[in-house]
Amino acid sequence: MPQSQRDTIFLEQARVLEHQSYDGDQYILRVEAPKCAARAAPGSFAHLQCSPERPLRRPLSIMRTSPTEGWVDFLYKAVGEGTKLLSEREIGETISVLGPIGKNFEFHTDRPRPLLIGGGVGIPPMVFCAEHLKRDPHWSPFVIMGSEVPFPFKTRPSQIMVPGMPDAVIAAMPLLEDWGIPSRLTSLQGYPGCHEGYVTDLARLWLDSLSEEQRAEVEILSCGPHPMLEAVANLAAEYNLPCQVSLEEFMACAVGGCAGCVVEVATEQGPAMKRVCVDGPVFDAKTVF
Amino acid sequence: MQLQSPLVLLSGCVGFGEEYTRIEGFSNRDVGAVCLKGTTGQARPGNAPHRVCETPMGMINAIGLQNPGVDKVVDEILPTLDFNETRFIANVSGSTIEEYIQVTRKFDDSDIDAIEINISCPNVKEGGVAFGNDPEMSARVVEACRAVTDKPLITKLSPNQTDIAANARGCIEAGTDGFAVINTLMGMAVDIHSRTPIIGNNQGGLSGPAIKPVALLKVHQVYQVARDHDIPIIGQGGIMTAEDALEFIIAGATTVGIGTALFYDPLVCPKINEGILAYLKQHDLESVEQITGTLVLNENPTLCKGKI
Repeated sequence: MPQSQRDTIFLEQARVLEHQSYDGDQYILRVEAPKCAARAAPGSFAHLQCSPERPLRRPLSIMRTSPTEGWVDFLYKAVGEGTKLLSEREIGETISVLGPIGKNFEFHTDRPRPLLIGGGVGIPPMVFCAEHLKRDPHWSPFVIMGSEVPFPFKTRPSQIMVPGMPDAVIAAMPLLEDWGIPSRLTSLQGYPGCHEGYVTDLARLWLDSLSEEQRAEVEILSCGPHPMLEAVANLAAEYNLPCQVSLEEFMACAVGGCAGCVVEVATEQGPAMKRVCVDGPVFDAKTVF
Repeated sequence: MQLQSPLVLLSGCVGFGEEYTRIEGFSNRDVGAVCLKGTTGQARPGNAPHRVCETPMGMINAIGLQNPGVDKVVDEILPTLDFNETRFIANVSGSTIEEYIQVTRKFDDSDIDAIEINISCPNVKEGGVAFGNDPEMSARVVEACRAVTDKPLITKLSPNQTDIAANARGCIEAGTDGFAVINTLMGMAVDIHSRTPIIGNNQGGLSGPAIKPVALLKVHQVYQVARDHDIPIIGQGGIMTAEDALEFIIAGATTVGIGTALFYDPLVCPKINEGILAYLKQHDLESVEQITGTLVLNENPTLCKGKI
């Protein structure tokens, strides 16, 4: 490891500023972690100590940051002991936050139409990507989100037209809507305004509505459950589009020391076990599916 | 071998020595030595995921000795390490005695400060703990490595055996210069919904505070054999605080290993150093060597005085 990577991750005792619960055991946590906020980029995650009772940290992807106000937002679902304990942490308490960590999503200027696809707790990095891209009019992103529990925000009918979308598929994420970024939602649960089906259904409709020249400007960025990512990777391959996916795996150190979080990745030298924490979490979809 | 701190970062926790320096405030200068990731003759891909999971007061891992092979470690990784910052110790593993010899020989011809013989890895099918739990095989591995290096040799002992002291005695006769006590304890965690082991390798090595009392007793037992030969022990197993470290030193360790504690608090080492220094000052001592093995056992521990 080159020494240039020294001092790029920060350990902060982060005060809980907000901690909001949503249906489906989902939570949005805002902590005061100015160093992490200043250095995080779309795709970054942080390693949080949920509770002294369960001191091994849990990796959570970052949804939003404010470098000026020094806060970091996480969206997570309480699924196990650690995240359940995390969900009990109250405003004013401190949480040990190690971050930002990981290789980020890359935005390529010759692909100004990023298609951002987030599923479940894979939604946060897509929001981070969208907020990053909204600053520059060069980018025209479109965001598709899927969830099988109620979305952790109040959906709103979109005011932004999206080519290829069925008339009834109108629900959007208000935050993205306010940023002027089009979004559409999918679920198998029949939520109002959402497409009843898979994220790849909407992606396909959108891609088919584009001209060939426009399609050549698309790159897919995605995060979500493994089967969804595999479907997204297959779609990207079918349309011959570049695709980056963010993966997750159980972690211990999260800084590349323990090799506990590996996935099999295709390399020029053949298959190799790469660490999700520092070699990822973002990988070229072609190399992992 | 003189160390600048009694703390040693344990093999398998800190990659090949540089990874933790990603964290602001972390420095290899805070520790006496860094044990590099277990290294074998050829590159090994390691075990299938999941490789780690948390358990009460600890964690289970089954990495499976993923490493790029000794040639790459010596030729490409060692030259990137800053040997002014700390001492670096290689961790040698293998499936056969010949492989232990091959890897040790390669490290012998390098800048590495010392060599740890890993005969206690619980997560590989051949070698590792299969050697470490058999006293005769342990001694044969140590003897074979001893024959090809003059660098300090540290033997990492397994707690998963009946008589660790007898094994230690054999390793001393075979030429070890020091011991690391202990490696992880074999363990398992089960997902009750899928009814499968959580760890891809089905079983793994348990570490963390959960194993500290076991490790302490093993250090005490090995010390009974090692002290007569002036053989130092790196005491390790669940050390989180200066108090934990001091317990190990009193039980017989000269230095102490830090592993899982780093995952909880990556900046724990300076805190442990400070705590040890404060203890020395409080007790008017100059170095930890003065308290190594100063444990005073209770007399007649099984007998109570008086009548029922």
